[in-house]
Amino acid sequence: MKQRNRLILVVAAMLLALSTVIPALAQDDAVEIPVWIAFSDYRLDWTVELAAEFNEMFPQYNVNIVGGYSYETVFAETQLAAEQGELPAVVQFFEAGTQDARDSGLFKSIASALAGREDVEGFPVALDDFIGPVAAYYTLDGEFTSMPWNTSSAIWFNNMSILNEAGIDTAPATWDEVAAACEAIMAMDGAPEYCFTFPNHGWFFEQWLAQQDALFANNGNGREERATEVVFNSEAGVAVLEWLDEMAAAGYLYYSGAQGGDSWATVDQAFQTQQVAMAAYSSSDTTFYTNMGVDNGFEVTASFLPYNDDTGWTGNLIGGATMWLTDGLAEDVETGALAFLLFLTDTANAASWHQVTGYMPIRTSAVDLLASEGWFETNPNQTVAADQLAQSTVTPATSGAIIGAFPSIRNVVTAAIDRVLLTDEDAQSILDAAAAEANIILEEYNLLNVE
Amino acid sequence: MTISPVLIIILAALVGAALSSWVFQRHNGNMLFGMGVGALGGTIGSLIFMIPLNFCTFEVERTTADHVFGTFLIVSGMLIVLSPVNWIFSRRLSGQNLIASQGSQGTFKGFATPVILLTPTIGILLVFLYYPSLETLRLSTLLARLGARREVFVCVDNFTRLVDDQAYFDIVIRTLWISAAIVIIGLVLSLLIATMAYLPIKGASIYRTLLIWPYAISPAVAGIIFLLMFNPTGGIINHLTRQITGTALGWTNDPNVAPWTVIIASVWKSMGYNILFYIAGLQNVPKDLLEAAAIDGANVFQRFYNIVIPQLAPITFFLIVTNSTYAFFETYATIDYLTPGGGPLQSTTTMMYNVVQLGVGNNDLGKAAARSIILFLMVIGFTIVQFRSGGQRSSTAT
Repeated sequence: MKQRNRLILVVAAMLLALSTVIPALAQDDAVEIPVWIAFSDYRLDWTVELAAEFNEMFPQYNVNIVGGYSYETVFAETQLAAEQGELPAVVQFFEAGTQDARDSGLFKSIASALAGREDVEGFPVALDDFIGPVAAYYTLDGEFTSMPWNTSSAIWFNNMSILNEAGIDTAPATWDEVAAACEAIMAMDGAPEYCFTFPNHGWFFEQWLAQQDALFANNGNGREERATEVVFNSEAGVAVLEWLDEMAAAGYLYYSGAQGGDSWATVDQAFQTQQVAMAAYSSSDTTFYTNMGVDNGFEVTASFLPYNDDTGWTGNLIGGATMWLTDGLAEDVETGALAFLLFLTDTANAASWHQVTGYMPIRTSAVDLLASEGWFETNPNQTVAADQLAQSTVTPATSGAIIGAFPSIRNVVTAAIDRVLLTDEDAQSILDAAAAEANIILEEYNLLNVE
Repeated sequence: MTISPVLIIILAALVGAALSSWVFQRHNGNMLFGMGVGALGGTIGSLIFMIPLNFCTFEVERTTADHVFGTFLIVSGMLIVLSPVNWIFSRRLSGQNLIASQGSQGTFKGFATPVILLTPTIGILLVFLYYPSLETLRLSTLLARLGARREVFVCVDNFTRLVDDQAYFDIVIRTLWISAAIVIIGLVLSLLIATMAYLPIKGASIYRTLLIWPYAISPAVAGIIFLLMFNPTGGIINHLTRQITGTALGWTNDPNVAPWTVIIASVWKSMGYNILFYIAGLQNVPKDLLEAAAIDGANVFQRFYNIVIPQLAPITFFLIVTNSTYAFFETYATIDYLTPGGGPLQSTTTMMYNVVQLGVGNNDLGKAAARSIILFLMVIGFTIVQFRSGGQRSSTAT
């Protein structure tokens, strides 16, 4: 009897399960549009909600957002998917993946997919509405290549409560000012454990290089012609390493030992727990950093990334990622994907995305919308990155490098910084060795990819 | 210098012939036939690696390291072919069966039944083991990236360039000492805890069950738990040491300490498994032996050292093998969570971590494949040595 009851229960459960599956199978005639992005936190949630909204507006499409761990892993997964012919309709690539994405031949430029259309499914295209630096970075060979989405710059976050306590009321603007501020902070009673920290991510080295108007790679940072050599072991590059080394030796700089994509979280943790008073970070998390202070009872301000006093400030470069459209999609998938990308970056959503995260409002109309709502007056931290880019002089250096195997080369750079901070070796020879290693990687990449 | 392929084949055939004829002569076989078999085997053996490589290691522009490596490949290829051939003939000639038969029970008469029964296993092995292994061998001779336009054949550069690669040498040494530390510390601690847990106390079974729990936790979770505890700025360990001793260690960001953090986490992770086996082993130590020794006046330590440890030798041997494999292959997740990127100054980058970093992180498939083959050969060699030495010790102990 007992057994029979159990059997009935199992059958009932199976039927119940089937009844949920069958209708799902039956009504599933919407066009599937898989979209891979590199977020796994609140940014993924925001995007998934937006996709749900889109799917409701257009029942003929089903945009399916898949989140990933980091830019680096999504980049690797995409290459694997390409090998297996299982590419999604849209992939989010970080700026460092630009050259690899172009060389792969897997993607279609947004301009050619739009083929001169003024709107897609009712969403206006308005490519000229994108702000200058963004349009410039992703316009390659004169063509709008990938759809900008999350754009940031490297900025500086200050725990003003600690800085004020040490008698400093303006955020340091230069390296010398950072050192002076650190001296004051570390000298006071109840000083934090360290003065400042930074993510050991190749992007910050690139930022400090660009500030000094120094190139990362030859051929105009790979923008005039394909880059064939890295040139970051210049005086400017050595200056960056020497400054960091000095700061670490003085006990000002906290280095968590984590490199690349894994380094971000260690900075969050140090800043949130007030183990450091200042941090270099991406403007992508301005909202998060500002709220960190609100939640933990200290005041956070954002400022420009401090620069080398000796060489002055030319400008900073952008970072972040764009959405790449797969080539060879069925017509309805491509139209749906384009419509979603335009929806994702329309005025209202670009503004909301900026408010939620801190990434730049990438459309002029979004900036206007936010300004009219008085957003920037009540949130001064949120204008810092945009101002920093607006005041930058556009040179090949501040436009950022376009170079093959960039993610691997970044690993070489972060390993060099690791070496400088942890050994007594001299910065020039470390950077020379890193450049040699990077050149081998680049040479091999070009050997495999140049037509 | 160039060495002609024909010369290589002739030389290989001669060596093979000499070797086999000697084997045949020792077993009173037909020496001429032996010479023929040996020549054929030697030729085929020398070609196993050289045909796919197209004798590239002996080209003019190649270095001495390449020549040596090529010779090594030829010798290995010959051994792969000749040793089973010679073994089979020596068994045949001395009148022994090829398969040591355990009496008449359970042997198949026909050929079809065993083949049908084995097909699923062989199929799985072919698809998931042998094919990927061959693919790894192929990749190790290439410069290759996922999504690249083309692949470039680089002969054995991926191997021979490692000869003067100081960074790689450091990684190998580091892997060896970290693995040795994990195995030794892990086994010693496990034996101590198992001995204590085996004491007849109240609630021992609950206590023992709890001890085995760490084994059920995935390496990634173990990594995160340890990361939270050992975090240099916010972790509880440094909070405690600062309160007690006034100093704090850079558990994850000091290149001298970081490997030890990985070792501690890995030891903790594998301890449950080791304790489980040691408790089982302790239950099998004969009580009368211990009592007799006690009566003869042996103290606790003498009994432990002279009776318990030898009695546990077979289990210790088994645990050394499984723990070494664990230390070599399964610490990746622990390392990656504790010290992402392989640690400050690469101080926690083991061979396995390096392979993943190169292959997945840097998308450098050829170099990663070559290094994974080296790792594979090392573990095989290591296991053979252990089986040779450990097998004898355990048979005398039981």
